Amino acid sequence: MPFKEKSAWIMAVLLTALGAAYYYVVAAISIESGQLATPMFRTIIIYTVCLIIFSVIGHTVIGILAPKEANAAADERERSIFHRAGHYSSYFMGAGVVMSLGAYMFLRSGDLLFYTVFASLMVGQIMEFVFQIIFYRTSF
Amino acid sequence: MARKPPISNSVKELRVRHGDMTQQQLGDAIGVTRQTVIAIEQNRYSPSLESAFRIARLFNVGVEDVFSWDE
Repeated sequence: MPFKEKSAWIMAVLLTALGAAYYYVVAAISIESGQLATPMFRTIIIYTVCLIIFSVIGHTVIGILAPKEANAAADERERSIFHRAGHYSSYFMGAGVVMSLGAYMFLRSGDLLFYTVFASLMVGQIMEFVFQIIFYRTSF
Repeated sequence: MARKPPISNSVKELRVRHGDMTQQQLGDAIGVTRQTVIAIEQNRYSPSLESAFRIARLFNVGVEDVFSWDE
């Protein structure tokens, strides 16, 4: 498996797990207080720091296992894969943001808008890595 | 989404005939990864025109001797 595909796996799994953990915390706080929790800076910071730490650890491990591949620049096929994966994933993020704005127009909840836009960003990023994995493994 | 390109090639045969060159060696010679060489050999990826010429020049053959269009 190419280094960059391993990297995509790491990021897809990390973003999914940390995203699920983030929204689990938000849901738990919301249930406890009986209303949608106000977005907290602290939770976002914890999410971001965990993402950075775990991705650095993951990439260090796969880099040690294949140091030559880790330092190599993306070749023509990989560049093409990244461009196309970014293109397709942008539709997911865009659709999520449009739906979030639609929900805001009816519900007028700024907190909900924050959570749905943040989720759209996460989904868009996860889908980018998922598409990379798919393109690495199929005809491209 | 991603369909198999209608182009076949004889890269694997040429590579074997060329002193049993490895996929890694071929990749290094034309500036792509071993995984891309594998994808080319399995007809899962059509290389750029530049890489196609690099492959042909490496094996001292014409591009049309390496790649052909599947009708």
